[in-house]
Amino acid sequence: MKIQQGFSLVQVWRYVGLASLLLLVTWQWTIQIDSSLGISALASGWVLFGVLAFLALFSIRKRLPFMPLAPSAIWFMLHTVGGFLALFLFWLHTDAMGSKGFYGQVLTILFYITSISGVIGLFMEKVIPRQLTCSGVEIIYERIPGEIAAIREEVESLILKCTEEVGTSTLAEHYLETLNWYFQKPRFFLNNVFGGHLSQHWVRQQCMILERFLSEKEREFLDKVYSLAEKKRKIDFHYALQTLLKTWLLVHIPMAAAVTAMVIWHLILIMVFFV
Amino acid sequence: MAITTQERPQRWDQPFGLFMTDQDVDRLLTFPEISAIEESKFPAHCSLKGILKNDARVVKYSAGDIVIREGDYGNSAFLVLDGSLKVVLFPGLPGEMLGRRTIRKKTLWQAFKQLWTQRKTPEVRDVKSQGQHSLVRATEALGSSQVFLQDVPAILDKNKTASLGKGALFGELAALGRTPRTSTIFAETDAELLEIRWQGLREFRKYDQGWRRLIDQRYRANALNAHLRATSIFSHLDDKDLQEVADATLFETYGKFDWHLTYNKLQTKEKTLGIKDEPIIAQQGDYSDGILLVRTGFARVSIDRGNGQQTLTYLGTGDFYGADEIFRAWQGDSNVSLRVTITALGYAEMLRVPSKIVEKHLFAYWSSGREGFRKGALQSSVESRRMQDYIDRTLTDGALLEWAVEERFVNGTQAMLINMDRCVRCDDCVRACSAAHDGNPRFIRHGKTFENWMVANACMHCADPVCMIGCPTGAIHRSMSGGMVIINDDTCIGCETCANSCPYSNIRMVSIRDDVGNFITDPQNQKPILKATKCDLCADQISGPACVFACPHDAMRRVDFRETELDENTTGF
Repeated sequence: MKIQQGFSLVQVWRYVGLASLLLLVTWQWTIQIDSSLGISALASGWVLFGVLAFLALFSIRKRLPFMPLAPSAIWFMLHTVGGFLALFLFWLHTDAMGSKGFYGQVLTILFYITSISGVIGLFMEKVIPRQLTCSGVEIIYERIPGEIAAIREEVESLILKCTEEVGTSTLAEHYLETLNWYFQKPRFFLNNVFGGHLSQHWVRQQCMILERFLSEKEREFLDKVYSLAEKKRKIDFHYALQTLLKTWLLVHIPMAAAVTAMVIWHLILIMVFFV
Repeated sequence: MAITTQERPQRWDQPFGLFMTDQDVDRLLTFPEISAIEESKFPAHCSLKGILKNDARVVKYSAGDIVIREGDYGNSAFLVLDGSLKVVLFPGLPGEMLGRRTIRKKTLWQAFKQLWTQRKTPEVRDVKSQGQHSLVRATEALGSSQVFLQDVPAILDKNKTASLGKGALFGELAALGRTPRTSTIFAETDAELLEIRWQGLREFRKYDQGWRRLIDQRYRANALNAHLRATSIFSHLDDKDLQEVADATLFETYGKFDWHLTYNKLQTKEKTLGIKDEPIIAQQGDYSDGILLVRTGFARVSIDRGNGQQTLTYLGTGDFYGADEIFRAWQGDSNVSLRVTITALGYAEMLRVPSKIVEKHLFAYWSSGREGFRKGALQSSVESRRMQDYIDRTLTDGALLEWAVEERFVNGTQAMLINMDRCVRCDDCVRACSAAHDGNPRFIRHGKTFENWMVANACMHCADPVCMIGCPTGAIHRSMSGGMVIINDDTCIGCETCANSCPYSNIRMVSIRDDVGNFITDPQNQKPILKATKCDLCADQISGPACVFACPHDAMRRVDFRETELDENTTGF
């Protein structure tokens, strides 16, 4: 039995095709309404509202894992395709010019923030997991502080042992002056996000500066500290990228909720004062 | 520097029965089944008296107590010393009566209701119902419990039963063969039994002809023919020929029965050393002297490569190897030797059907090309071709399977495999599991990784479920429908035997709480009441395993490595 994960190209195009068809039908409908001097924005607005409501349902589906509501993977695919469809429908609805008036402009901005955060999130979800795998370690996000504390403890006991066994405090002093900062918490966040090697370079630099002042025995301890720093670097990398994977939703979901609320109010206003 | 010393641990440091005395042993020697054993045949380091004292124990059962349950795994056999027992033959006792959990799928409404009926605190149990209908009763042995039957006369009325009296031996095939018990046996009257753990039983079989004959005869009579019949190459033989094959078949055991106890130690060893420690069943380059069939357990198939051994695949219960080599030799090919080495992966029981009998009963028919027999020949050549494909694989192609064999994940039938290249670490799977199980997830999204694959810490519903060995109440059992390993919360006494036995650390003990969220404690010692919990594949949920269902990136699968080829989709979606 072969494990097929995800969707095949045919399946993806099927979903995209369906979305395109819906867009084309709506477009034709608005053209027809326009030619008969009707208000086409009403038609595109209703379709857009329907698509937005469907997008919001994904969040509800996540809260009902025990209901037989189709696998989450299908929902995610529909949510993704639906998100792009909503963007095109929004342009159709607003004639790609954006809304007039303060309320409309706020709604437009929120809609764009939601859409852009969604696209960025999608991009990150497709790129970051592989980068995390390539780091060679795997760690649960919530365990990162504990893991760093354990490494710090190990480093400090190594430093103490070095001081006791060798009788000099060179390594300990240098640790307190420089490396201690590194082992306190995740560092070089932005550099890790962009895949830089600053962290590795910094630690290597600190060790190199010290190396010529150490005896053979002390160097053995320094090597051990360096390998622990290397381990921490990988954890920092996980921290940075896993933080990204978790925090983009903190923008996307509240914005989507705000858009939904404003759209409903917008709909009420249209129905009460316009139609 | 001070050197720490310790007496070298000995085999009988941990006796089976804590309260066995020399007087008990002397008394046992007066029973005819034991006195018939030739004491002089046993070596000094493994004396008969030593076995009786350390590998056996006298257990008393009250009328109605269940001694063994159908479907349970056990590592001991029983000899009736006194009293009378009943074997339930047909139609068998319902699961609830045996202390098992009946799985009922939730209705759509019940599933939906979980949305607001879920408690805020995890692992809440209904204190009033707990223990009210308990089937568990404490026994004389400290900390031990038995499940008992409540209405014995009704059971006798409704079921066809057989009696077992003084001197009857039972449970030995399941204990030695690591197979589930085939029937339920309960005490009809108060009874005294000698329970012998498998190590003792193995020695009895090894050093005493009478016991060996008895055990082998029973296996031949009860299970061997069925096993051969179920093996494709023998399935076309008529009863007479099959019997002749069965009579000539040899039994062999390799490895340690309790391999799970040393598994974690093995993990710290260099991987190549692990293979070298495994007992060899058949060696690459040797002449094949028969077809090897796996009766129970697993066997690693490997070839020499460089300075090490490359694992090609593994054989499980029902698999066979060696037919093609003997067939080619029989056809006149010279230099037909075994292409691979077969070693016991933990523990394996093998059947060896000697070449001569195979030539007589299979090859003559195969070469005749008669309809019906062709299938057997075809099956053999398919297996052979498959093996050649494995041999031709590159190191990279076979690396994942090699890893799965090394880590013993091949034991799992429902291993939780996560593609870390797709997983966004959102923990939707964990939340879904928690939502479906009393607010506490039944797995940890963490585990051993190979390349981009992770086998998470979730129950794998093993083919060889060592966790089930030794459960005193049978609370952990294999479901008759679906074969998953599940725990009956009502009969779990929190003894931790299963959690300690699981080599993969996939069973977790949890402290249970009452309605208001306080821990439920034992009034005698104020310690919290523990229950064993593990993945049950969401057996009662209509959506199936919630974890897989909830993964938005389709990164997770429950897999049986034997049937799995990993093939990642390239679209990225």
